[in-house]
Amino acid sequence: MDKKVTLASDWLAGCAGCHMSLLDIDERILALLEKVQLLSTPITDLKRPPETGVDVGVLEGAVNNSATEEVAKLMRSRCKCLVALGDCAVFGGVPAMREGANPQAALQRAYCETESTVAGQIPADAELATLRPTQALSEVVEVDVNVPGCPPSADVIFYVLSELVAGRKPVLKGPLLDWH
Amino acid sequence: MTQTLTPPRPASTAVPVTLTINGQKVIGHTGQTVYQAATDAGIFVPVLCHHPALPSHGACRICVVEIEKQRTLQPSCTFPVAEGLVVQTESPRVVEARKFVLEMLFSERQHYCMYCTASGNEHGSDCELQRLGYRYGLDCWKYAPNYTRRWPVDATRTHFMMDHARCILCRRCVRACHELVSNHTLGLQQRGTRTMICADDSVPFGESTCVSCGTCLQICPTGALYDRRSAYLGHECDTQRTRTTCMQCAVGCGIETLTRDGSLIRIEGLWDAPNHGVLCEQGRFSVLDEIPAQRIKQPLIRANGQMRQVSWDEALRAAADGLSKARTVAGLVTPRVTNESLIAFSRLFRDIFKSSQVGLLSGRTPPLGIGAAATLEGIAKSDGIIVIAGDPLKNQKVLGYMVRKALDHGARLIVASGEETGLDHLADLCIRLDVDGSAQTKTIWDSHKRIFHLRSDRLAQVKKEIDSLRSPVVLYGAGLDQELYAALRSLPAKTSFLPLVEGANAVGAARLGFSLRAVQGDALYVLAGDEQPDGRTLPEAQFTIVQASYRNAWTDAADIVLPAKAWFEKTGHLTNIEGRRLPLTRSIEAPREIVSDWATVFMLSVKLGQPLACVTVSDATAAL
Repeated sequence: MDKKVTLASDWLAGCAGCHMSLLDIDERILALLEKVQLLSTPITDLKRPPETGVDVGVLEGAVNNSATEEVAKLMRSRCKCLVALGDCAVFGGVPAMREGANPQAALQRAYCETESTVAGQIPADAELATLRPTQALSEVVEVDVNVPGCPPSADVIFYVLSELVAGRKPVLKGPLLDWH
Repeated sequence: MTQTLTPPRPASTAVPVTLTINGQKVIGHTGQTVYQAATDAGIFVPVLCHHPALPSHGACRICVVEIEKQRTLQPSCTFPVAEGLVVQTESPRVVEARKFVLEMLFSERQHYCMYCTASGNEHGSDCELQRLGYRYGLDCWKYAPNYTRRWPVDATRTHFMMDHARCILCRRCVRACHELVSNHTLGLQQRGTRTMICADDSVPFGESTCVSCGTCLQICPTGALYDRRSAYLGHECDTQRTRTTCMQCAVGCGIETLTRDGSLIRIEGLWDAPNHGVLCEQGRFSVLDEIPAQRIKQPLIRANGQMRQVSWDEALRAAADGLSKARTVAGLVTPRVTNESLIAFSRLFRDIFKSSQVGLLSGRTPPLGIGAAATLEGIAKSDGIIVIAGDPLKNQKVLGYMVRKALDHGARLIVASGEETGLDHLADLCIRLDVDGSAQTKTIWDSHKRIFHLRSDRLAQVKKEIDSLRSPVVLYGAGLDQELYAALRSLPAKTSFLPLVEGANAVGAARLGFSLRAVQGDALYVLAGDEQPDGRTLPEAQFTIVQASYRNAWTDAADIVLPAKAWFEKTGHLTNIEGRRLPLTRSIEAPREIVSDWATVFMLSVKLGQPLACVTVSDATAAL
């Protein structure tokens, strides 16, 4: 029996829609699991990729704070081939639309000035992530495969995973290339 | 842009030229660009700033091609063809350059495709920029855009909006505003990365000299300019397109209606019609906003003060009954009907009712056939325009734009009118006509009873101007005194004329002898179509039949109401201001019980016991 391709995924500043679209490959996941071993994903028991690393890392969502930056760098260091899944990871997407607004003013309004807030304060716990400018994944770590779409269709995701399993780098063009 | 344009005809002095494109022999002609020769031969070359309706610009560089012996890649939209040129349109060097152009364009502003109405997949996308991104396999941005820079959205125009984040500064809109419409509103402000499309001295579009003709909207390659009504109602590939003629005024611009599932989504101008893609606010936008709510879908008969829905048979028999009992039957018809319906209506009154009490519902038509007929295109090229008793920028807007286009090319303008017109401030000579009579009226025939006079010394001045011109065009309205019409008729043969008529088929109606006049009869048959009362009252009669598309004050007071097709359901012909017969093709099928106006007249004639002979196209040609 051939050794299975190991795969880990995670989500950053995203809506999880790309993971939902991945699940939309429906029964094809059974055929995929004959060749792929899912090690960690946000929707299964194990959450972080193993120290020994994985063949394929899949990240959805943009990098917008210290936490998502940490997750992105961790995944990059533990996978051979990193896939940016969806418009947020590839282009910055919807999370990037917050840029240009004043973050301090937004925090002040949200935590202190809203009409129903009494004695509010902006959380500053050391364990909380700190804001950083939103960026596409490729601006923070090196990305090997870009899969645009909002979300990419299940067919596109299945094609990408099948190509990777076959040892080829997927090339998206024609009907497979749809930024939405 | 899914309209295909017929390539321009070569100048009579053009000489054939043979070149090689992608190894294929292509025969073009002098005066063409490499882009035109390639496109004519069916070879695809991408463009963004170029548009066939506009003069070449050469700004975006996406159309670059490799030409042997040229040191660098050349923009094919400006490079002239020459004998023996060897061109490659998709060599690796060309593809690399085009990818770079696209990467630069995407990095300059914020192209968030996921929420843009134009965005789609390779088949569905309405965005020319996105389609090129797909074609050249862009799956990520090589150069990240500046996420923090904010680009404004201008939503101050009534009908369409502009999102500057999607603008690629191709300048198609600016060039269209200057060259096609001659409105000169759009321009550019600032420089470099701060360059922005702006209106006038950088005021909100809705407060500028913009006339909302929408030509810029139609020509924009991206989702930067987008129409409020049709946004998110589907991509162009989801719609059906129908070529027809606008019925909002007598100019009769060529239009294409976009419909989806039986609804009108959007109206576009035909690039290859004499209006060259240009429409006016009324024809492109307001016409869709103004569709009344209550449609007459079934014949109605008044009984005991109530309107009762009845079958066609019952309604027509009651109509025939009422009409037969009358001593005189009067008739009024809207100019918003086809030639075919006008002929049927005219024959009904001439042959069956034998009544001369027939007139128009609206539109005071000046005498036709004063001299040689001018054309829309001819006006734009004329060296002198004389406008008498009319305001084309108000009542025949696209004609007004053509006048402005002529002025851009140095034409002289003389305006003679009873009151201020939109062209006054552009005129070299502005004369006030003396007016008899007031403008205010309530009844149909009282409107526009005014007579305009031109003093003889002023007339002499106008004649002197005309003598100095090579190809003068006179646009004349209704209500001039007889001496003035006679003077127009005696102008030199080089002069051409256009009557400033009001109403889509006013010329067709005038040629059949219909005019705005008082009519009287015991019975009154009004073919109103989709014309609305706007406060006007019909003449009194004992028995009134109204044939209308929508419920209004006229149908509420009628004895019998018959349904009628609206403009977007009509198939037939109308005769426009130039005297040309233009085709109408229905965009939407009328609901089942609603038939064409001429068919209704025909069925009525059958019930009257004297069926009219069928109207054929050759009849129509002969009569008009």
